[in-house]
Amino acid sequence: MSHKKYFVLTAAVMLLVFVLTACGGGGGGKSTPIKVGAIFDFTGPTSDVGTPYGEGVKAYVDWLNANGGINGRQIELLSADYAYKVDQAEQLYTQYVQEGVVAFMGWGTGDTEALRTKIAADKIPFMSASYSANLLDMSAAPYNFLVGTSYSDQGIIAMQWAVQDWQSKGNSGTPKIALAHHDSPFGQSPIPDMQAYADANGIEFMTIAMPKATDFVAELAQIQQFGANYVIMHTVSSPAAVMVKDAQSQGMTDNVQFIALNWCADEIFISLAGDAAEGVVGAIPFTPPSSPVPGHETADAWLKEHGSSLSEKGLHFTQGWWTMAVMAEGIKHTLDAGQELTGENIKAALEGIQNFDTQGVTSPISFSPSSHKGNRALRLFKVENGQWVQAGDFISVP
Amino acid sequence: MQSGIFHSTYQADMALRRTHAEKIRMVLFLLFMAAFPFVADRYYLTLANQVGIATIGAIGLNILTGYTGQISLGQGGFMAVGAYTAGLLTARLGMPWYVSTLAACLATAAIGALFGIPSLRLKGLYLAIATLAAQEIILWVVTHWKTLTGGVDALVVPNPTLFGLQINTDFRFYWVIWLLAGVSALTTVNLFRTHYGRAFIAIRDQDIAAEVMGINLFRYKLLAFAISSFWVGMAGALTAHYRNIVTWERFTVDISVLYLAMVIIGGLGSVSGSFFGAAFMTLLPAFLTNLGRALKSTFPFVDTIIPFVQQAVFGLVIILFLIFEPEGLRKIWKDIKDYFRLWPFSY
Repeated sequence: MSHKKYFVLTAAVMLLVFVLTACGGGGGGKSTPIKVGAIFDFTGPTSDVGTPYGEGVKAYVDWLNANGGINGRQIELLSADYAYKVDQAEQLYTQYVQEGVVAFMGWGTGDTEALRTKIAADKIPFMSASYSANLLDMSAAPYNFLVGTSYSDQGIIAMQWAVQDWQSKGNSGTPKIALAHHDSPFGQSPIPDMQAYADANGIEFMTIAMPKATDFVAELAQIQQFGANYVIMHTVSSPAAVMVKDAQSQGMTDNVQFIALNWCADEIFISLAGDAAEGVVGAIPFTPPSSPVPGHETADAWLKEHGSSLSEKGLHFTQGWWTMAVMAEGIKHTLDAGQELTGENIKAALEGIQNFDTQGVTSPISFSPSSHKGNRALRLFKVENGQWVQAGDFISVP
Repeated sequence: MQSGIFHSTYQADMALRRTHAEKIRMVLFLLFMAAFPFVADRYYLTLANQVGIATIGAIGLNILTGYTGQISLGQGGFMAVGAYTAGLLTARLGMPWYVSTLAACLATAAIGALFGIPSLRLKGLYLAIATLAAQEIILWVVTHWKTLTGGVDALVVPNPTLFGLQINTDFRFYWVIWLLAGVSALTTVNLFRTHYGRAFIAIRDQDIAAEVMGINLFRYKLLAFAISSFWVGMAGALTAHYRNIVTWERFTVDISVLYLAMVIIGGLGSVSGSFFGAAFMTLLPAFLTNLGRALKSTFPFVDTIIPFVQQAVFGLVIILFLIFEPEGLRKIWKDIKDYFRLWPFSY
């Protein structure tokens, strides 16, 4: 290659690099869209609940863009299905970060845990539907934000309610409580905190893992032998439904109260368990549509415009909608403060959010630089006539 | 003009690279691999690194399943052993990443040999179930042995360093992964030019005949499990150091099936097939996702069905490949080479 050709080539490459970096770095303009990345499970093992959640996130962005976006800037949601495959989550995450997203919406425990070191290194604020308490460790997961009540807090709230309920029925002392949990890190995560609460309050407490099985007769027998008055279920909808059905056929439901934590307290649980679901109490951080609050109205109106409704989509849609709303609030605060939209600034803005009102869907959301626990309170719901009906006001952890 | 490849000496016949074309292709491939990270962005580097790790894992599985004929559904479990060993040694004991990686390879080899013991009595589907048990047992131990693995909590692994340089970026880790992938490929190709490798192949082709010929089945089957698991453990260990975090959900039985698909689609009993299979199975979902994105901007109404179409196409492509070329991508590659070698008078 002659020197002249070499020079031309170098110049061309440099020009290209210059143009590319100019495009990449020029995100500060007034009208350029704000890029947010998202991965959903539409086809994988958790797609039954992942689909409405993902639709909720997408619908919020569409609604926001149709209503002027954030301070006049549109959100461009880069999203795809990852089928709950960790490798694909990583591929999509790097692709979207490469394309300049400033925030990221994840989904399950698998991707949230696998990405948490990378999001900290890349400084990308991250919200997902995994509410494992170990994501609250600020040194290990500084960019993870939990909008829903953590599994530990849900469990403790359920135990608190059980003690109150026990005493209000004229019993003395404390009840015996069993935790039947999914046999996975997701299922095990609240055990230490619940055990500590039980020990501190003199509650007799047992935990039992729910194996992959077609029935839970053996597990229920163990729970009966222990003499549990309350059984807290921390699993997903279908095993929980099987468990309450088995309990019903054994006549256990008459004197044992079942309490479902959020991933098994939804519409799917009721439709699978049928009348065995009646009377089951649910610890649900995001108010289900069957118990209307003002926070449902915008989403419902938006869905009705598009030929659906919130009661059709269910509570996981609400969950996705409001999780995205909290992220958008963080972005709005960053823009309001006149700061450049970077992951670091959005993190700081999110940490400044105090009592963000979700209009009754959750208890108000607050973050701080020392805690990314969005809320510590939830309402309990009870299944009545095949619907989740509110059963009391917000209970918060002590 | 050629009518085929003929050798007039044993030396030429036994050579690793037997033709000039092979040597030239090798050089071109190496040049491409060396130039790639300088032009690729982070996304493509991530894909390349995933392919590299998958190649090492697939070579490992191919030694066992493709060359020795011992089907294994324990791949995910063995990778977990590698990942957790490497992660724990580095995170808890502060070992350098290369020491913990080697230790992880050896530990996985030992565990692999242990779970290989049933292979003396079990064949085919029965062995598949036995190795599936290995997968489940290993994952159960990983998620329940809290004092060792931390159980519930994901294991965070510190950034790997080499000569004072942090190497956890995609660009730097590319060299580590592909260097080790090269080592694993070269070692494996050469393994099957030794009497050990030939013994493995003899066992695959007919184990009774192999035993009659004086091959100690027990010893060689366990050896095959150990050597295979060594590389599988390396794939796991590299995952741990590359991603800085180890979670059990990365090593489920899905992964075992995925790797089995890689070696079958790539070509059983072939190192290049392992590479083709790993690349194909890693890049196809990424390709389909990007295709879906491109379609979405042109036809917005297909947005909601794209994920399902992607899954269906993924399955369909695999089935079609297996129907039209059961010997895998390696055979397609060979056919292409033969076509051009004999062009224009192929027969």
